[in-house]
Amino acid sequence: MPKAIEIENFTYKYPDGTSALSDITLSIEAGARLVLIGPNGAGKSTLLLAMAGFVKGTGKVLVDGLEINRGNLKKIRSRLGCCLENPDDQLFMPTLFDDVAFGPLNMGLEAEQVKARVAEALQTVGLAELGDKAPHHLSAGQKRAAAIATIISMSPKIITLDEPDGSLDPRNRDNLVKLLKDLPQTLIIATCNMNFAAALADRAVLLDKGRIIAGGDAKEIMSDSKLMAEHGLEVPHKTE
Amino acid sequence: MHHAHIDKFAYQDSPVHRLDSRVKFIVVLVFTALVISLPRTSVSILACYAVGPFAILVLAGIPLRFVFKHILLVSPFVLILALSCPLYDKTPVSVAFGPFLWNTSVGWMRCFTILGKFTVTMLALIALISTTRFNDLLTGLQRLGLPRLLVIQLGFLYRYIFVLIDRAHRILRARAGRRLRRLKFRAELQIAASMLGSLFIRSIDAAEHINIAMQARGFDGNWRTLSKLQIRRCDLFFLLAAVVFMLGIYFFVKPILL
Repeated sequence: MPKAIEIENFTYKYPDGTSALSDITLSIEAGARLVLIGPNGAGKSTLLLAMAGFVKGTGKVLVDGLEINRGNLKKIRSRLGCCLENPDDQLFMPTLFDDVAFGPLNMGLEAEQVKARVAEALQTVGLAELGDKAPHHLSAGQKRAAAIATIISMSPKIITLDEPDGSLDPRNRDNLVKLLKDLPQTLIIATCNMNFAAALADRAVLLDKGRIIAGGDAKEIMSDSKLMAEHGLEVPHKTE
Repeated sequence: MHHAHIDKFAYQDSPVHRLDSRVKFIVVLVFTALVISLPRTSVSILACYAVGPFAILVLAGIPLRFVFKHILLVSPFVLILALSCPLYDKTPVSVAFGPFLWNTSVGWMRCFTILGKFTVTMLALIALISTTRFNDLLTGLQRLGLPRLLVIQLGFLYRYIFVLIDRAHRILRARAGRRLRRLKFRAELQIAASMLGSLFIRSIDAAEHINIAMQARGFDGNWRTLSKLQIRRCDLFFLLAAVVFMLGIYFFVKPILL
């Protein structure tokens, strides 16, 4: 099975010397739906940033077989879509259409191709009618879906999502689960919400204090009540 | 949070909304320059000029209550300037309007002219903003030669000003929720300074995240958008009508001063 992400002995310290990630070794197969779980401050977001080449530490990170370095960054970012925690940071253009078109335009696609990709991405996330809307006119759920559309339009092989369920009501969270389940890409999702994680993932990696504590089958890890309690997490209500 | 967006009617559809943003911008720019350059004796000319943006607003279906509310919102600064005029210039002057004739002072004439110019230019500006999507306006400005960096800055300003206002409101609310006693002015000032500092740090933090979001989608310093602007026959007709209207008033309407 080809690997979507391979990380070997990756270590990163914040500029003040605090250790953020310690000796991370991780391999994610293409097509996997993996959740990074862990308490606040465990290093989940930093690890996602490291996968997109925004955090430079020691060790090796390979994305779709390409090692992250200065020369590869453009290729890597067209293969790995990175969706940030706050949709207001992700949606920076005056209209939703322009936001979703931003990535494809930077990839050098022709105008007609860009329009087709934007239409398809907005259709996928259920916002086909809202292309002309300004992001500040969207609801929290719509912003979240729009943020995902900005990534889908680039047709990446891998999508990373940082706390995508944050500030969503149960209905919007269910809609998001349905949307993410239908995506064909490799999904890497950082979350503290175990029910959300259980509804989506087939693999889980438990992080705490910048270290990988456990990794493997999502149901197995998340149903281990002792392990979850030790790291400030809870067992999901349903581990289907 | 809900914001009273000045462009909330820009997403409607009307013949005025469909006009090219560049044409509307140029017309408003020339119109404003003409109105500002009018002499202080030109209250009657101003009244004629007001018909233009007023007609545009009605044609575009913009509620006049909304228009006048926004004019009133920004009027205090101009009111102070206008109302101070009668105090320092009391030179007597006679004014005729049709069969009517009355005596007043140059200061009052100047006061009414300032208020008139302000109202008419605001009508034109609101007509532009309420009938043009901000993004189309930015694209139009870029096509008209405004530096790209400035256009990007304006785009970010428009996108994030509401986010910033929301954050400021939340900080103020958090402060109000814990304000159990009245503090001395100096202590209040210290708290206000730390609130501003917090807002500043959060803004820098947000800017860093936005930069990451842009780079993650391949941003390399070149701003690329799909421009949808196109000058059509109706745009040229509007431009011609606006020129005829403005020049007609400029050459044929006389001031009222004797």
